[in-house]
Amino acid sequence: MLRFYIALWAAKLAQLMLRLLGRKGTYFAGKLAIKLCPDFLGRIGRPKTLIGVTGTNGKTTVSNLLCDVFEFWGITLVNNRYGSNINAGVASALIENATLGGKCKRELGVLEMDERSAKLIYPYIKPDYLIITNLFRDSMRRNAHPEYISGLLSANIPPETKLILNADDLISSSVAPNNERRYFSISHIDGELPSRDNIVIDARICPNCATALEYDFRRYNHIGRAHCPKCGFASPAPDFALSSADFSARRMFISEGEESYEYRLISDTVYNIYNALSVVALLRTMGYGADKIASAFESLKIVQSRFWEENIRGKLLTVIMAKGLNAVACSRSFDYVGAEPGKKSVVLMLDDVFDEKTSSENIAWLYDADFEFLVSPDIEQIVTVGVRSLDSKMRLLIAGVPEEKIVAVPNECDAAAAVNISDAEKIYVLYELYRYNSAVMVRNKIAERIEKEA
Amino acid sequence: MTIEYIYPEIANLFGDSANFKYLKKSIPGAEFIETGLNDVPAFASTAPSLIYMGAMSENSQKLALSRLMPHKECLRELIEGGTHFLFTGNSFELFGKYIEQNGERIPALDILDFYAVCDTGKRYNGFFLGEHGGEKITAFNSRFSNAFPGDGVQGFAKVIRGRGLNADCTYEGVVKNNFIGTYLLGPLLVQNPLYMRALMQELGSEQEPAFFAAGMEAYAKRLAEFEDTKRELD
Repeated sequence: MLRFYIALWAAKLAQLMLRLLGRKGTYFAGKLAIKLCPDFLGRIGRPKTLIGVTGTNGKTTVSNLLCDVFEFWGITLVNNRYGSNINAGVASALIENATLGGKCKRELGVLEMDERSAKLIYPYIKPDYLIITNLFRDSMRRNAHPEYISGLLSANIPPETKLILNADDLISSSVAPNNERRYFSISHIDGELPSRDNIVIDARICPNCATALEYDFRRYNHIGRAHCPKCGFASPAPDFALSSADFSARRMFISEGEESYEYRLISDTVYNIYNALSVVALLRTMGYGADKIASAFESLKIVQSRFWEENIRGKLLTVIMAKGLNAVACSRSFDYVGAEPGKKSVVLMLDDVFDEKTSSENIAWLYDADFEFLVSPDIEQIVTVGVRSLDSKMRLLIAGVPEEKIVAVPNECDAAAAVNISDAEKIYVLYELYRYNSAVMVRNKIAERIEKEA
Repeated sequence: MTIEYIYPEIANLFGDSANFKYLKKSIPGAEFIETGLNDVPAFASTAPSLIYMGAMSENSQKLALSRLMPHKECLRELIEGGTHFLFTGNSFELFGKYIEQNGERIPALDILDFYAVCDTGKRYNGFFLGEHGGEKITAFNSRFSNAFPGDGVQGFAKVIRGRGLNADCTYEGVVKNNFIGTYLLGPLLVQNPLYMRALMQELGSEQEPAFFAAGMEAYAKRLAEFEDTKRELD
């Protein structure tokens, strides 16, 4: 126990020092504490009610939405929204909210938890509720494949944790099958395509009998509703189903059995609607009234830093985060850009920042991403940027983009000059998460050119 | 010319379908067959020119083995008869004596003299630079397993940088006649236009691979990075 207190006090001192130096340091204190006391997470006080959020995509958005709702209700909570989501980040958030005796000062916590860190977190910290947003392919280096992550979660999630799961995702919805669970789903919406032509569909066969699954509809990748024609296996029935949405009035209707409740639609992108729906599903499961949740939703916003759009002299210039190494996230962005009307130029800045400096990026993920969505007569030019620009060019050629439309630019400083501004009505800059500053630089140079040349 | 892709619904874990797609673009006159898990493989009735399979999950290996086991003798005869096989990622492990997954021994097809050991607690990642047929091979590893070959096994590529079949092995992959099995994953043929051209010639196609010039440019850039010893494998 002495070891725990030494670790806690050292970590608190480190947090204080970092704060005095003006640094957030949300990772360091937790790392130090776990180094000094390996079972630190199991010893530090936790809030009375703890909510975890994990999954491949959307966990940051869901955590932020939850924090915003609770803060709207005047509840101060433990959270790691400005920090890391691995075990050290979780520890840091708890240290920050702990007394010198190690007791938690808050009643409630919302912690984003990295799915890959399951075995470092759940043996010690047992969430009362855990939202799993979805499970897709991610960095193969770190996450291997979705089945591996699903197995890791199943083996480590505490049996007493109540799960909030995406019924439209056959991989994440099958995690920890013996745990109590509630499912959320988005019904097939009028006008929605019955399927998308994706390369990666990671739930193609029945988990019971390996027969090819039949999808009633497939929204994207393996997200949709499926059944096995042989053994009767099917996507789980939802407890919370978004039954309809009015995009112009910005309303969504969520049914719970025979009842239906209305909430503000806080985004019109389907992945963010899933994120918002998971928040409703969790809060309803916790016992909060639909009216109370609906009033919080009226002021809720999804941070738009990953999507920045501006009309400059009649040309729409848009910056979109595409998340490199993550084929599904990139494909969603490609699908969006491909489907937008008008003559377009697209700038791709997808290279991994870290590999560029010290190694050489594994480009296999490019062939899981649906570059085929960029094969469109409306897309007049695609500028591939960075050290892997020639690999991206090759990927586009194999997708079917004519060579004369592709410009490979190794140096990002030259990217803006390569963009065909005069013919494009819309220009999109798609960037990898850690390349935001470069994307802004390219975007600003393009904006300057539009101001001068348009 | 017939090219058969075995079990694409499970054997496309790391962009591996790119190889099949690139062959389609490069040899448009060939017949391309995708054989699902519940289909009878085309190779069971007629020898294709090339049989392809890509990386898969550990559970999928068990499933693939259950489907391929009834065709074991047919596969052995095809290898002996000189049919081309290209098995990337961990798919080639199916042809060894057994696969040990986290201590569980799973009997494999036992056609080639090696066994594989998979430990999902240890992942190896890194780029690979090797030599095959006088040309440099540039590719990537991302795997939980290692293979341990018997004395008479021939490798696919001599290791220049990176990991071979296991940490101590000086070569990568296994070769028997025209069977090539390699841990190198994903778009191996796209990343290696010279090897792609040689393979196409072996298959009887005299054309250049699709987008050959663009492929060579990307290859040259990657090769320079891989040969730069200041760059780390991962």
